[in-house]
Amino acid sequence: MEHTSFGDQRNATFSFAEEDHTLANALRFSLNQDPQVIFCGYSIPHPTKAQVNVRVQTTDKEARVILKDACQGLMQMCQHIRGTFDKVVNDFRTKNPSGNHPSQDMDSD
Amino acid sequence: MEAGASYQRFPKVKVRELKDDYLKFELRDTDASVANALRRVMIAEVPTIAIDLVEIEVNSSVLNDEFIAHRLGLIPLTSERAMSMRFSRDCDACDGDGQCEFCSVEFHLRAKCMTDQTLDVTSKDLISSDHTVVPVDFSDALGGDDSSEQKGITIVKLRRGQELRLRAIARKGIGKDHAKWSPAATVTFMYEPEIHINEDLMETLSLEQRQSWVESSPTKVFEMDPNTEQVVVIDPEAYTYDDEVIKKAEAMGKPGLVEIYAKEDSFIFTVESTGAIKSSQLVVNAIEVLKQKLDAVRLSEDTVEADDQFGELGAHMRGG
Ligand SMILES: [Zn+2]
Repeated sequence: MEHTSFGDQRNATFSFAEEDHTLANALRFSLNQDPQVIFCGYSIPHPTKAQVNVRVQTTDKEARVILKDACQGLMQMCQHIRGTFDKVVNDFRTKNPSGNHPSQDMDSD
Repeated sequence: MEAGASYQRFPKVKVRELKDDYLKFELRDTDASVANALRRVMIAEVPTIAIDLVEIEVNSSVLNDEFIAHRLGLIPLTSERAMSMRFSRDCDACDGDGQCEFCSVEFHLRAKCMTDQTLDVTSKDLISSDHTVVPVDFSDALGGDDSSEQKGITIVKLRRGQELRLRAIARKGIGKDHAKWSPAATVTFMYEPEIHINEDLMETLSLEQRQSWVESSPTKVFEMDPNTEQVVVIDPEAYTYDDEVIKKAEAMGKPGLVEIYAKEDSFIFTVESTGAIKSSQLVVNAIEVLKQKLDAVRLSEDTVEADDQFGELGAHMRGG
């Protein structure tokens, strides 16, 4: 990650290599939920270059801190989905033991 | 710092249907950016293993060497190992050669037709050096288990005297680099529709009018109960957001007969796997990949760069 600042740490553009809409849009949405964020947007400078720029402007905290908090928040959410999903799949398998997942043997030969 | 801030949500999940290669589940209390990130990662960034290098020893078949190499690449291989495997490009055990046990799996294929009967060379003829990485077996998925016709995927057909002999290297990769590495046949999500019929307005319609309104929907969303003559929603999810019933109501001079909203925080996912990874594992792997991406951003050290690194775009983004 590269980070540009212009004296004022509240406004910054972050550049992510090898990333695209997948990460940038989720981050943008999450950052825009944060009341400490004045502006957040992202752009992909060129379609054949694997790069995305995320612009963050905040009320008073450093932009990079707010960005990292947003990552942390998304991380916790992913962790939560993962935990919930595992539980729900296990519950489904115990309730539907036979029919729905017939072959556990992918290494039968 | 702001962990668990008030705007942060904790989504709910419900499984509707689960098979090795098919999964339907609900994801609630979240937003489109998260649902879409999950979908995009499942299609393009969950790693699998696929044949990437082919050395042909003998090929006297009707298909040329590169045609066969391409077909081999597209054969799904069981890829439970992929998450813990190394990408050849950053494997230090073989210096990027991409042929060591940490980053590759070797396959051999030898077939020669000795009879007047056409010989089908299939994915079953591929001999793997690693028993956990083998061509996906579709035989029991298709239901005809007893028919002894446990065919693999046809690679080429040989007539008498023709021969195919080759060595292939399978490597870890992602769908973003080549579609052959995509573990997903399809991954889709839809917003859950919320359908409200205005009963008072519906009362004002004649039987024929109700019937023709119900039939104006291209998919079977509504039905008229033959006994009560009431129009009921039988399958809200069959609605494709086509607006036909709304237009029909307006054309009948009854605007507001039905109101349909998309619940923008509820998603119904359909995941179909190629067989390389089980559908439920595909979702789990996608979440892990997404977490790795977030971690990379969170833990990365910033390097302060000059203003002009972003050129005109940077100036534009700064309002310059
Ligand atoms: Zn290696």
